[in-house]
Amino acid sequence: MKMFSVSHKTVFVVDHCPYMSESSRQQVECDVLTKTRAQGVIPLAPVSKSLWTCAVECSMEYCRILYDIYPKDKLVNYIVSDSEFHILNTWKREEQGTHELMSGLASVGPPNPHEDPECCSILHGLFAAVESLCIITELQHERRAALMDTAERVANRGRIICLTNAKSDTSVRMLEDYVQETILEQNKVAASSDRRMAIQQCELVLLHIYPQGEDTLVSDRPKKEISPLLTSEVHSVRAGRHLATKLNILVQQHFDLASTTITNIPMKEEQHANTSANYDVELLHHKDAHLEFIKSGDLHMAGTSTRENTLKETVTLKWCTPRTNSIGGNELHYCTGAYRISPTDVNSRPSSCLTNFLLNGRSVLLEQPRKSGSKVISHMLSSHGGEIFLHVLNSNRSTLEDPPSISEGCGGRVTDYRITDFGEFMRENRLTPVSEYFIDSFEKLPVERAKAQLERHTRYWPMIISQTTIFNMQAVVPLANLIVKETLTEEDVLTCQKTVYNLVDMERKNDPLPISTVGSRGKGPKRDEQYRIMWNELETLVKTHAAASDRHQRVLDCITACRSKPPEEEERKKRGRKREDREDRAEKNGSKETDDKGWQDSERLKGLIDKEDQESEVIKDSPDSPEPLNKKPRLSTEEVQPPERAKGPVSLLTMWTNRITVANSRKHQEFVGRASSVNNKFELYQHLKDENGMDVHENGKASR
Amino acid sequence: MPTLVLMDVSLSMTRPVSLDGSEEFQRKNLAVHGLNMLFEHMASNYRLEFTALMAFSSLWELLVSFTRDYNALQEALSNLEDYDKTCIESALQGVSNVVQQEWGSACPCQVVLVTDGSLGIGKGSLRHSLQTMKHRGDDKKFPLPFPFPTKLYIMCVANADELQMTDAMDNLEELLHLSGGDGQIFTIEGPLCMKGVQAMFGRLIDYAYSPFHAVLHCGNLSSDVQVFPRPEPVVVDDEVEPMPRAVSTDLEIVGFIEIADISSPPVISRHLVLPIAVNKEVDEVGTGATDELEEEPSASQMAGKNPNFCVLLHGSLKVEGMVALVQLGPEWYGMLYSQADSKKKSNLMMSLFDPGSGPLPWLGNISHLGPISEAAENPYGEDDSKSPFPVQPQVKRSYAQNVTVWIKASGLQTDVQKILRNARKLPDKTQTFYKELNRLRKAALAFGFSELLKVVADLLERECTMLPDSAHPDAAFQLSHAAQQLKLASTGESQHADFDHNIVPMHTDFSS
Repeated sequence: MKMFSVSHKTVFVVDHCPYMSESSRQQVECDVLTKTRAQGVIPLAPVSKSLWTCAVECSMEYCRILYDIYPKDKLVNYIVSDSEFHILNTWKREEQGTHELMSGLASVGPPNPHEDPECCSILHGLFAAVESLCIITELQHERRAALMDTAERVANRGRIICLTNAKSDTSVRMLEDYVQETILEQNKVAASSDRRMAIQQCELVLLHIYPQGEDTLVSDRPKKEISPLLTSEVHSVRAGRHLATKLNILVQQHFDLASTTITNIPMKEEQHANTSANYDVELLHHKDAHLEFIKSGDLHMAGTSTRENTLKETVTLKWCTPRTNSIGGNELHYCTGAYRISPTDVNSRPSSCLTNFLLNGRSVLLEQPRKSGSKVISHMLSSHGGEIFLHVLNSNRSTLEDPPSISEGCGGRVTDYRITDFGEFMRENRLTPVSEYFIDSFEKLPVERAKAQLERHTRYWPMIISQTTIFNMQAVVPLANLIVKETLTEEDVLTCQKTVYNLVDMERKNDPLPISTVGSRGKGPKRDEQYRIMWNELETLVKTHAAASDRHQRVLDCITACRSKPPEEEERKKRGRKREDREDRAEKNGSKETDDKGWQDSERLKGLIDKEDQESEVIKDSPDSPEPLNKKPRLSTEEVQPPERAKGPVSLLTMWTNRITVANSRKHQEFVGRASSVNNKFELYQHLKDENGMDVHENGKASR
Repeated sequence: MPTLVLMDVSLSMTRPVSLDGSEEFQRKNLAVHGLNMLFEHMASNYRLEFTALMAFSSLWELLVSFTRDYNALQEALSNLEDYDKTCIESALQGVSNVVQQEWGSACPCQVVLVTDGSLGIGKGSLRHSLQTMKHRGDDKKFPLPFPFPTKLYIMCVANADELQMTDAMDNLEELLHLSGGDGQIFTIEGPLCMKGVQAMFGRLIDYAYSPFHAVLHCGNLSSDVQVFPRPEPVVVDDEVEPMPRAVSTDLEIVGFIEIADISSPPVISRHLVLPIAVNKEVDEVGTGATDELEEEPSASQMAGKNPNFCVLLHGSLKVEGMVALVQLGPEWYGMLYSQADSKKKSNLMMSLFDPGSGPLPWLGNISHLGPISEAAENPYGEDDSKSPFPVQPQVKRSYAQNVTVWIKASGLQTDVQKILRNARKLPDKTQTFYKELNRLRKAALAFGFSELLKVVADLLERECTMLPDSAHPDAAFQLSHAAQQLKLASTGESQHADFDHNIVPMHTDFSS
């Protein structure tokens, strides 16, 4: 069904003239007496519905089914016609629903039998119906706005269902002509309005209702084209049961519905709770749920039965009692369609038993009865959020059967994927509906923000265990979890810094690291090398986030400030070895000792720098090391000041930078330009001017 | 999407192709050469496709049923025999039966019809079939369109000029039109020769059998993948949006959802997502690019040892019982999940949802799904005991809200009985009594059924007179109060017949 087919807009026009207050002559016994109390009581006379009541309740049933199956964008406008028209609702989405219509109907009340029949006419209602069809719906408006230059693709079609009591075939023709004229007239009006659209196609369905026991004065007529704009069909129906059946058939035709009867539903008997009888329940749904049957010509085999004057067709599917433990179900069925359902007999006991069972979260598989013995599960009934859907399950051979296993393809041989960590990552990146209220049209859509979060979380994400150290360390977890956040609080920064200090502490204690030994023989890298790898990795992780905010940057600064520096690392290496020496003395020899000593000396020469948090160990391990300059940690960039402006003691970073600069400068001769620059500027190609006194550009070639 | 090759083995296919100087070929040889080329391509680039081979003349025969064994197909091609005249209609009937028997009627299928453009003579010829198809009964309907979605490729071992001299081209075009219009007619450009037929099959390969390569992204993690079978473009509404939507070659994961929350969603197609080694050559779809997957064993072994994001994702999805929501294009989504074929084999699979932002009502608008970190409190609860799904619709469906329908007499009787049953248990059941009473009152007012209100009022009054002596005195008060209120409502006067008004229990006090 196209988005803007005639089914997008349905107008009900119901006759409210005095004649409609006549009895339908279908009697309902209200006073059903239970046997025990029947003695001596005269039952009350049965009631009978008026033509109006019949028309209203059958049209409401049509709407009930429609709203159950198409809760959105299949719209109804309800109009009542007597001496004038009464429009009970508009196309607005919030005015769609049986409760809204019932409320409107109650305010109109039953027709007044004493009103002057001459003043009353269905024509008032038909006029209002045509006018209403011209009025643009929210969906039409949205799509027109979205399509911009191709807005003409949004069509305006509609259907008018008119329930009335016509006098004769001639008066029916008169109604059709009137609708045709009104359309032409209203289309002209619509042309000059933004809120209206000309009607491109209108389907008029006239239902002539007459009381039981009378002969009809109007003959049935199948759909015929009155004009390119208008088709019309006439149904002459007796009020009561027949009208209900007719409207049930019409709603199926109009909205592409089909019927499925679930058979063999076991249900506890009201009287005998320990026995159960089997019941059938008929459901309506979109006919595509039967597509496979229709195409394969299996419709009859699937147990189509014809009931009620051979008008009704239904496909029978057998209930398969669900396994008791599979509530909700963590199984992903291959489902090719899911269609909303509406029970035909909504408040009958079998129907409500079935729907309540499903609404409580159970799913039921349905079996297609076949002539041959094989059992084929073709459908499943399941509810989602208080709505019941008929799922179509694929029962054919799959074209994807026997695929190569993922372990045979790229990356299939790798065995140490961080499966658990990625599982955790997936849980953190689960989604949740964001209420319309919080969606700002200027901001990114929630789904874009979800993608942005994935981007942040994966800036540094090694896929295998042997590729990472930090993600194998519990100690890093607090920092790793926080640093990926879009914004950090002061508290977060503090937590990150604590994590770093903790690592420094670990390093000082020479705690072992979970470094993978895959691919390396023996013990793997030395411990200080391990720490170097760990710090590098941590720095890589944090660097990818440093640009996000000052606070992120401060975490990075903390790491750069705290981690061991290469020369110190050498020293550390030495110390580490010393310790190892102590641990296994036998293996070490003197030559290494002297080597180490050399390092130690050069280290001492280089300056009075050390890290404040090495204190105790430094002193203990190598008494030659100087006392740290600062006891207080200095971690953030704010404290890094250019040396000339620094008044107090110089910061660690500054000292470090200076030392590196000095060290570097010794390794090469200074550029002439930089050495003789004025304010760090030096004019290039001075010699050209000196030699020729000419402009460089003009004489570039000549000078060569 | 399985392929069925329908090969013409009528006598006309044995017509020689005159080539100056060189060896003499029959048209059949050319056709077989082209098909061999197609099968070779598929064996290396499209090897998961199921293909069947059927030969036809006035009769048809299924030579190789649906298989991935391309050697068997090539073997069968080399053993073709020559038969009598061309009869396309019966062959198509055969196709219809074979495909439906194997795949049912919902699975889309590609049919490659190889012929020489001489479409038979007299009864059974395509011309005859097309002329008579409108005058037949239901039992002898023309087999096209097939019940399953079809792509029909007609490979003519003939050039266009030759076909246009007769009405062959017109007939073939009509055939394509009848099949649903999805497909193409290919002819040989220039003289009939090996090169010409290679070029023609090359065009078919480019059109229908080039592998779909994409990049699967999850933030900065990514993997090159082949999506098999190729996702086909989808038309949402041919009026509002006639341009088909194609799946993007960048598949972006947007987040993750539990399997129980996504709960067997309807999908339009399913595809394997196979990680592939990064290609050295830029040319992906060219006719010549045949050996992407047939690299030297050492290279493929290398690929097996390099960590691949797909394998990681698959492993975690499987362990956690989750799916990844993946964006396929603007307002188009799908899901990635682990699909187990058997206990040992499992795969990364992608299912496509209907295009649009709200394909699954129970997830709401997918574009409006955001990260849980932005929610005020974790919607899954601290211990994963809750879930924000399913999304509840704003209005309950009729079956979930105790609606009143009196179309069948039994519906009305049940409702009246319910009131009476509760009336007899007053004052214990006062609340239920009034609840049922008000429900009936509302419906009666909406349906303009004032007579019912009067009858029920009478019934209540009668109940009142029949109260046993042991009854609580309040029962009588409530019954006559309710009866009186119903009578007032039945007058239709606006002050008593307001739809939203509820009859409230009479205030009585028997405590003193």
